Amino acid sequence: MRKRAGLVAAALPLLALSLGAALTKEDIKVHSLANGLKVLLVEDHNIPSVALYTFFRVGSRNERPGLTGVSHFIEHMMFNGTPAAGPGEFDRRMEFRGGSNNAYTGDDFTAYTDWFPPAALEAMIAMEADRIQGLAFVPEVFESERGVIASERRLGVDNDNDALLSETVRATAIMAHPYHWDVIGWMSDILSWRRDEVMAYYRTYYAPNNAVLVVAGDIDPAATMALIEKYYGPVKSSPPPPPVTTVEPPQIGPKAVLMRKEAQAPSFIAVWHGPSVKDPDYLPLAVLAKPLLEGESSRLYRRLVRDEELAISVFGGIQETIDPQLFTIYVKPRPGADLDRIEKVLEEELAKVRTAGITPPEFDKALNIIRTRFYQGLQTVAGRANQLGAAEILYGDYARLFTIMDDYAAVKIDRVREAAAKYLVEANRTVGRLVPEGGAK
Amino acid sequence: MRRVRRPAPAMLLAVALLAAAALPLPAAPQLPVPAKIVLGNGLTVYHLRNAAVPLVSFQMFIGGAGSAAEPAAAEGVADLTAALLTKGTSKMDANAVAEALDFMGASFGVGAAEEYAQVYGDSLALHFPRLLEIAAAALTDPAFSGEEFEKERALRIDGLKAAKDDPGSAVRLYFQKAYFGAHPMGRLASGTEATLAKMTVQTVKDFYRARYRPDRAIAAVVGDIDAAALKPLLERTLGRLARPAGPAPAAAIPALPRPSGRKLVLIDKPDATQAYFVLGGPGYAMGDGITAAASAMNTLFGGRFTSWLNTELRIKRGLTYGARSSASNWAAGGITTISSYTKNDKIGEMLDIVFDLLKKAAGGFGAEETESARNYILGQFPPTLETNGRKAAAYVRLAFYRRGFDEYDKYLAEIARLDPAALKAAAARLLPRNDYVLVVVGKAAEIRPLLAKYGDWQEKKIGDAGF
Repeated sequence: MRKRAGLVAAALPLLALSLGAALTKEDIKVHSLANGLKVLLVEDHNIPSVALYTFFRVGSRNERPGLTGVSHFIEHMMFNGTPAAGPGEFDRRMEFRGGSNNAYTGDDFTAYTDWFPPAALEAMIAMEADRIQGLAFVPEVFESERGVIASERRLGVDNDNDALLSETVRATAIMAHPYHWDVIGWMSDILSWRRDEVMAYYRTYYAPNNAVLVVAGDIDPAATMALIEKYYGPVKSSPPPPPVTTVEPPQIGPKAVLMRKEAQAPSFIAVWHGPSVKDPDYLPLAVLAKPLLEGESSRLYRRLVRDEELAISVFGGIQETIDPQLFTIYVKPRPGADLDRIEKVLEEELAKVRTAGITPPEFDKALNIIRTRFYQGLQTVAGRANQLGAAEILYGDYARLFTIMDDYAAVKIDRVREAAAKYLVEANRTVGRLVPEGGAK
Repeated sequence: MRRVRRPAPAMLLAVALLAAAALPLPAAPQLPVPAKIVLGNGLTVYHLRNAAVPLVSFQMFIGGAGSAAEPAAAEGVADLTAALLTKGTSKMDANAVAEALDFMGASFGVGAAEEYAQVYGDSLALHFPRLLEIAAAALTDPAFSGEEFEKERALRIDGLKAAKDDPGSAVRLYFQKAYFGAHPMGRLASGTEATLAKMTVQTVKDFYRARYRPDRAIAAVVGDIDAAALKPLLERTLGRLARPAGPAPAAAIPALPRPSGRKLVLIDKPDATQAYFVLGGPGYAMGDGITAAASAMNTLFGGRFTSWLNTELRIKRGLTYGARSSASNWAAGGITTISSYTKNDKIGEMLDIVFDLLKKAAGGFGAEETESARNYILGQFPPTLETNGRKAAAYVRLAFYRRGFDEYDKYLAEIARLDPAALKAAAARLLPRNDYVLVVVGKAAEIRPLLAKYGDWQEKKIGDAGF
């Protein structure tokens, strides 16, 4: 054990130095336009490719009943036409210039991710600036895209038992805050969004003062900034979106979910209310998640998958969100597994961390895992753009990326035990089970 | 997410030759030429230093150790053997191996593709020597303990049952079986409940002894490590793979089956609210001269967001979240597949559109479309080789299939020259028209009447054993 601890001690200075070599705070050129658009530029000529990532501060957190899933729907509609470019033109023009794109919506923000050769830069900036100034919402296209979302929901939730249980457990654990519903939204809302409501939602959140633009890769920063000024400069800012004021009340007793459904194997999920990403308890819980849940040496994998052969897999952890989210443990039980036993094993293992915390080697392991992942995420131009934008949205400061590894290293090991004892307790827990209909429990 | 999930990174690498990639062709090679190191035991290792981040990646292919080399009765033994290599050596038990790897935050794994077993590892540069020591111990001195064998086998049998709850993945397994039947390419990497039940630890030991040979292996190391440090490290680790006593077993895989007429298979999943299909026919072998044209044709037909398939099924009609076509290629041949899913009551409409598009594609593609496909492939290529892991995998893949390291330069140059006639020829050869296998997973009571017009369907229940 001592030898392993030695490995880590040696690792720290090397990492700090090399993080500097890979990307330093000085490599990031930061600008703010008069209309409130924040711009981060990272020049890197390693490959002839540019990543242009646009982040909007809007996600399922900003939705309300009847309009659940609408943030994600707008993510789709952003590709379906503006007054200047017809439906599908964004993709056709982009692909013609050698570019491709994707987009994702989460609880707190929506990101548009473009990858293209340097020659396409001006066209891409022009198209991105165009689509934040108004979408066409052509009625037929609106209806067709509604069908796409319904198919996405059927694929990702309705025909996936683990996801179906996860959605129900989340909605049971969180009752007041909009994190109550999943990003995809409820099917009945998907089938009934009204065009005028969707357009009003878009106008509220799609504005330069609610966005962060990151351009990384094979660019000239000054020339890129001139293009951004040219196309985004004239865009008007909007009134600040309304704040999310709902605070989830404390849970004061355990909750349970039971679903019965045709299935080959059961599903099992346990969740606890956790802290927000800026809470001092966040890092200790993120550290705890590694020795508890990550890798075949983790405590829960060892017991549930290897030793007692109750499960096929186990994973989970705490989510990075603006408001308090859940600490989640997903267990995929084996067909016919005793779910009571799974719950008992979970509770035994959590009781240990509440009273004794984790060991120093486990703490070192957690830091090694966190650092390696962090680094892997910065290996690519696209990865850098994504991490910078997400940090700017979640922490309000992209520069957090350059100190977060030091903050992890500074976590006191006792804080891990204290955080476990504060959050991972019965009164704060919701357990969900999906039991195959007519089969094993 | 707006797009259909892309294949996992490993899959992407498998199709890198035909899939991806700059309007003006760059003068520099896509893949830097690596140094070649030949170890005392004959193993070739390619090395490229990249000090940009303090990480190192490692890849190795062992030819003939994949699922197509399995005896039919031992379907699943290749991947089971691969997995058990990471479950303990004579000096470290499985828990100690997992503990050592997790402690470093390193990844290490062995898996079986059809034609080879693939070993991969990633770690901080500081930990790389330790990672390679563990990898070498796993490959040369595996414990193959009876207890670990039983655990892994039970896990796989349970995993196969649970896989049927995910119709999107299950339909691919059913398709593989329906298309290839008893041909070695029909062996499921996971095995089946029946073959796993009959296996013993001796089956695994025999497969390992016959198939894990340095003379059939190729490795690559890319990252923050220099040659002076790497060479002695390689000798004392991978250099320990024993030279085999005899010649390698015959590796040739028989020619792939070609469907004659239509083979239609319906899998009844009574709780499904969506029907999932895979339709496939003959494709082309790795290194075939049609590769560039095929790649551009596939880009237009079903390989990107604005492809014909996705435009008709998703963008215009909202029938699905995604529709695509893709090519799988091996030394012995390949297949072309088309896949999507929709609400049960729309599966007939969806398949009609697919067949119409296949007919239309035989008429070829326009000049502007062809230009768009060229630009798209050229523009999307550079990120596919951006990381250490991607480069390492490209080196071993190219060497394994006996292609030069300038393969991608030649491929991209050819892409840049493609005209509509080349794409039309690729469509005529590679898109199924009359001879194909079509598998649908869905709620039979609802979709059976919609499918009847296509011909006679073989029907199975999702709960029936096997695929």
